[in-house]
Amino acid sequence: MKRKKIDGATALGFPTWAFVVFFFIMPLLLVLWYSFGYKPDLFTAHSNDILSLDRYAEALDATFIGTFWNTLKIGVIGTFLCLIIAVPFAYWMAVKLDPKWRALALALVLVPFWTNFLVRTLGWQIILSPRGFLSDFLQNIGLIDGRLDILYTQTAVQLGVVYNYLPLMILPLYVAIDRAGRPLREASADLGANRIRTLFQVTLPLAAPGIAAGSLLVFIPLMGDYITASVLGGAQGNMIGQLVASQFNTAQNWALGSAMAVLLMLFIGVAVGVCALVALVIRYFVRRSRRVVFLGGAA
Amino acid sequence: MRESTQHRKRRDPVHIALAVWGVLVFIFLFLPIIVMIAYSFNTGRLLASWEGFGFDSYLSAIDNPIIRGSVMTSLGAAFGAAILSTVLGTLGGIALARSRVGSLSVLLATGLLGITLFTPEIVDAVSMLPWFVSLGTDAGIAPLNNGMVRLVIAHAVLSVAVVTFIVRARMQGLDASLEEAAADLYATPVKRFLQITLPVAAPAIWAGALMSFTLSLDNTIISSFIQVPGSTPWPVYIFSALRVGLRPEIAAVSTAMFLLTLFALFVVAMVLRRSDQSPEEIAKTLAAA
Repeated sequence: MKRKKIDGATALGFPTWAFVVFFFIMPLLLVLWYSFGYKPDLFTAHSNDILSLDRYAEALDATFIGTFWNTLKIGVIGTFLCLIIAVPFAYWMAVKLDPKWRALALALVLVPFWTNFLVRTLGWQIILSPRGFLSDFLQNIGLIDGRLDILYTQTAVQLGVVYNYLPLMILPLYVAIDRAGRPLREASADLGANRIRTLFQVTLPLAAPGIAAGSLLVFIPLMGDYITASVLGGAQGNMIGQLVASQFNTAQNWALGSAMAVLLMLFIGVAVGVCALVALVIRYFVRRSRRVVFLGGAA
Repeated sequence: MRESTQHRKRRDPVHIALAVWGVLVFIFLFLPIIVMIAYSFNTGRLLASWEGFGFDSYLSAIDNPIIRGSVMTSLGAAFGAAILSTVLGTLGGIALARSRVGSLSVLLATGLLGITLFTPEIVDAVSMLPWFVSLGTDAGIAPLNNGMVRLVIAHAVLSVAVVTFIVRARMQGLDASLEEAAADLYATPVKRFLQITLPVAAPAIWAGALMSFTLSLDNTIISSFIQVPGSTPWPVYIFSALRVGLRPEIAAVSTAMFLLTLFALFVVAMVLRRSDQSPEEIAKTLAAA
């Protein structure tokens, strides 16, 4: 009887798994296959007659490596800035804000998140425009001498990605801090811990899953993003996503583009793995240095 | 709990600093949206340089057949993708919640959906293009040459995991006893599914449908790769307009779409409210992605 029910449940999901395998996994495998091919002539996008790893060697040239480091820099700084902005904000929402305003505040965080990504980025293009109102305003109050000269620079891209991915950091952090609950913080205060100590030894450790989830949610799409860079970074382009896209759109070299896409996925996997490892090592040393083990905190 | 809120002083500097920070972050979050709405009333020729106030851009957007077409394409794709991914995601979510925890099939399915969430969109985009071309042109599956079909499928792939996880979360929160009771009372499996399981899952299904609708409206990267001439969705139209210079019509239509999204959000919030949820839970359900 029990077994029958389980079989039924798994079969219910069969169309879903089949759909994802057919339209997601198969395309990925196809790209992996294409990455071993080559571009035979000017008018053909790819061929797999001769298999080699040459596209990977070709992909790993100075431009790709340079762009990759640049993207990684924007990604790491962007994730870090999101974290710095979001932690106090989520803490404020979950702890300080009057509970009756909390649903409204959450809804307000969701609104930009639900607004078209490209349109939000265009909003920044207007704001940062050298002839825009911010530029005029800053000149009028004498903060800058000439016109505002941020648009189409790395700074603008950095600002844009922090803005675009900030809600993805706020939401999991809010949920984690909210879940950690007030009683534990109060217990900590009652036991004589000051605020800083409560923050670092109770609130932040309990928010750790939220920090991890938020960082992943920000970092991964950020590394593949090319819209923000195209809108705010100008034509020269300095994100890896633009490089991959241009192989498919402009150069029509699908083999090379596929190799780049595979490398991008590998690199993101490695970067996430390294970060997870660092986080684990830090946690290990933090736990070892403080003998106070938090029983039941993990549950 | 109430006690502690009271003994915490309102004049506390940390409290004030956090509140100021909160307001600043909200201003930051809304600045570009407000600017975009304000500039949709720009009568100038170029979006970014303000000339004067007027509704010209709205009128000329309505008059422009290319803009109208792309908005209709976007809405059609969003409806299609929402329906497809909601059906698939509901099945998947119920299946995951009702299968044995930790079994191989559950782990595989969760992993499969997890990868779709953690793959950068550009990689999805460059892999779906050759796949659609191979299936449509080389293998001769004609429907896949249709732009709308491609958009619906691609957008559904993006959001099916989100719907699945939202539905699974809802179903896991409720034990299976209701369904078992129905079975004991001789309800057929189909009847049980339609009369017990679906109504129980309904709030999550609505939230998932809204989520996939907006994810589809939002999608630019994948759409720009797989689109077929004649079915260009709205974000891709904007993206290609970047090169030739942005006109205020773009802000006008974006403002209209923004209001539409808010309206959809409002409708779903109302639907969720009719079921037993508190406002905060509703917000959390919607944020669950």
